[in-house]
Amino acid sequence: METSIGGPRQWLEATGAMLRFCFRVMGEVYGLKVFRYFGEALRQAGILILSSTLVIWSLIFIIGLQCGIEGAYFNRSVGSPAYAGVFAAWCDLRELVPYSFGYMMAAKVGTGIVAELGSMRISDEIDALEVMGVPSMTFLCSTKLLAAWMVLPFVYLSGVGAGFLASYLAVVQQIGEVSSGGYQLIFWAFQNPPDLLYSVIKGMTMATVIVLVGCYYGYNASGGPVGVGTATAKSMVVNIVLVHIIGMLGTQLFWGANPRAPIGG
Amino acid sequence: MEQTTSEFEWHTGRKTPVENPAIEFVGVKKSFGRNEVLSGLDLALPEDRISMILGPSGTGKSVCIKHMVGLLYPDDGDVLVHGESVPSMPDDDLFEMRKKFGVLFQDGALFGSMDLYDNVAFPLRQHTDKGEEEIADIVNRRLKEVGLTESGDRMPNELSGGMRKRAGFARALVLDPDIVLFDEPDSGLDPVRTALLCELIQEIHAENGGAYVVITHDINSARRVAEYIAVLWRGKIVESGPATELFESDNAFVKQFLSGESHGPLGME
Repeated sequence: METSIGGPRQWLEATGAMLRFCFRVMGEVYGLKVFRYFGEALRQAGILILSSTLVIWSLIFIIGLQCGIEGAYFNRSVGSPAYAGVFAAWCDLRELVPYSFGYMMAAKVGTGIVAELGSMRISDEIDALEVMGVPSMTFLCSTKLLAAWMVLPFVYLSGVGAGFLASYLAVVQQIGEVSSGGYQLIFWAFQNPPDLLYSVIKGMTMATVIVLVGCYYGYNASGGPVGVGTATAKSMVVNIVLVHIIGMLGTQLFWGANPRAPIGG
Repeated sequence: MEQTTSEFEWHTGRKTPVENPAIEFVGVKKSFGRNEVLSGLDLALPEDRISMILGPSGTGKSVCIKHMVGLLYPDDGDVLVHGESVPSMPDDDLFEMRKKFGVLFQDGALFGSMDLYDNVAFPLRQHTDKGEEEIADIVNRRLKEVGLTESGDRMPNELSGGMRKRAGFARALVLDPDIVLFDEPDSGLDPVRTALLCELIQEIHAENGGAYVVITHDINSARRVAEYIAVLWRGKIVESGPATELFESDNAFVKQFLSGESHGPLGME
């Protein structure tokens, strides 16, 4: 009996520890303690912009091409190529831009945070910070969260634009079975500002979770370089699962009861 | 190898009383899982002296240092720094108390994202309102003391182990701490560089004063540098006192350890 409940019990304990950590980090931001180290937050924001923006845009652009291609061929097969914009609009904004944003955040930013904090942990750098009277969780984790909140909304919004451009290029320029005006009429009719807001909320929730999970696994890493590698892998698994859970819940919450489609009454 | 009949047969607890100790351990016990590392540690370390905590590998010397700065808390007992209980301190007081300390970790623990200059300047930028010119004066002075004047713009991974330790020493000194802790500063160094580091510790202590606490198991360093020695084994102090007294001790364990002999109470366990 004990061995059969040992596994779930450990998962629950680990989840509880992770939640406690995450709430503590978020509390340091909401409580404004993190602003004591605003310079470090700005440095982290700079790192995010320089090292992650282009690769996030690139992936979203490729995903946007896929949405456009998929929409165009599907609509052609049902005899309505002029409505390719419907699929592109919903595919881009509601689903694949948030997911591809989450994937690249998990793969690049999340694992980077685990590796950075984990190697700091095993080389006593975090202890050195504490001993110098600098609260390590605030300096290392809360600043990363603040930097993410400052920078990523703009990265995400511009990523949405990259996805839209890619879909346009795929449908209008590449496949070319609908005119530019015809595509755009339908494309913009099937989305509105609240949809954009919901998409940003989805993306930013994913980003917040990814940063917090990365900080948790990195900050608590142990067992030398192998332990840091293990923590990196674990964080990737957890982040990918959470990205999908957030995506699913977001879709259900924002568009489940009301798909917000300009059809019928 | 002699077989001991009791785990603490050699722990006479003989110690020279210390007036107004800088750091005091009172009955400290600490376990990690089923492994009891400290088993009722009683120790007082004097002000204005270079003290050494010596002992075999794995006896809890680094755990002692972590208790001194509040990185670990005892399961039982107390740790006092200038009379104040570390485990009882609220977080804000603890962070304030830590400013009294400078710590040199085993491999220097320099921040990999900053060059040497920024590493040494870090505590000044975080805890003082000094301008960059004044910070530059202090940093360059400390780098000169440890012989790293020309290396300020180098990253930690471009430095040798000995250079990283010296840089860590410079960083530990920038806030003019009352207490400086050294966690096995000689680990990974050849005998010549160990001797040079010991000389550096003595020179800087002579200039700046304060309580220096060195954790090591290198007896040659103890002979060179230590003014006060505590021998730690199985989580308790065997004996402690002025270095001259410990080197002349009749205690079989202390004698064996300080002479580096293979025969005696200490085996390969």
